Amino acid sequence: MLDLALFTIEVVSVIICVILIRFMVMPFWVTGQSRYLGLPLGFAFLGASYAFTALSISQFITFDYIWWIQLFLRAFAFLFLLVTYLLLKENRNQFWNALLGILIVIFTVLIVLTIIFPQVLGPSYFTAQIYTRIFMLICLSYISVHTLKSHLDSPDPTTLMIPLGFVLLTIAQYLQIIWVVDRSFLSFWSGIVVRMGGLAVFLFVSYGAFYSSKRTERE
Amino acid sequence: MKTILRRDKLKIYADLLFALYSESPEEIMPTHIQKKIGVPFDRFKLYVTELVELGLVRDETSMELTEKGRQYLREYERVLDFIKRMGLEYL
Repeated sequence: MLDLALFTIEVVSVIICVILIRFMVMPFWVTGQSRYLGLPLGFAFLGASYAFTALSISQFITFDYIWWIQLFLRAFAFLFLLVTYLLLKENRNQFWNALLGILIVIFTVLIVLTIIFPQVLGPSYFTAQIYTRIFMLICLSYISVHTLKSHLDSPDPTTLMIPLGFVLLTIAQYLQIIWVVDRSFLSFWSGIVVRMGGLAVFLFVSYGAFYSSKRTERE
Repeated sequence: MKTILRRDKLKIYADLLFALYSESPEEIMPTHIQKKIGVPFDRFKLYVTELVELGLVRDETSMELTEKGRQYLREYERVLDFIKRMGLEYL
């Protein structure tokens, strides 16, 4: 029963991420600037990580390193989002194509190594999970602070929601770390609820931006 | 020292379309629009020709926006709004 609920939540998360990718890719399509590619890539990797989690819960496909793959996918998802906010001022398409390309190559090498030479993974999944989740927590904390600062610099009701979305994802990540260390089911389920809240905020912001009935008025 | 940011072509196109949109079709003055978007006149003419070829501007004389041009502007505006909401900037 719990597995079914968890599987459903992961599938819903995948669907939300797929919808979000459609919106997140728009800045790149319309402006042609590669620096916005981190957004769709981030949500694509995040969606893929939820898909792998759903697969492992359902046991439709089982192989030894499925959890490692979902962990790497999630870490790279937040890494793509982090570089997008960290290198905000960098505008050269060549730089962004090279950076994102290198990250994708590193990710591919990690996955190939995981599948072909699992012995190189070294530490246990438990240890790796803690360190990786701490890394994700740092990425999300930086983005939360950045978006909040950006909102405070020029306060506008429309820019308040995204910091909230990232703060919720940060809290969810923190609760997941507690679950990994403590095996507390309360933190596990609260983490999932908070994460769903975060994804819902992103959906709300995206629909608000693209489907609000605003007229073209610019100086 | 003041930093001058280099605009990419898409941004110049959008600035030009917004400038044309904000003028009423009977009052469009090429030199006025050219000064408003801040490009040399020869390049301005080239951009207008390209926008006509893309079907965003009706012709080089009237410089009136087509429905496709208006639709592009609406989409562009939404994306700028989305970028702002995401806590990012459009340089």
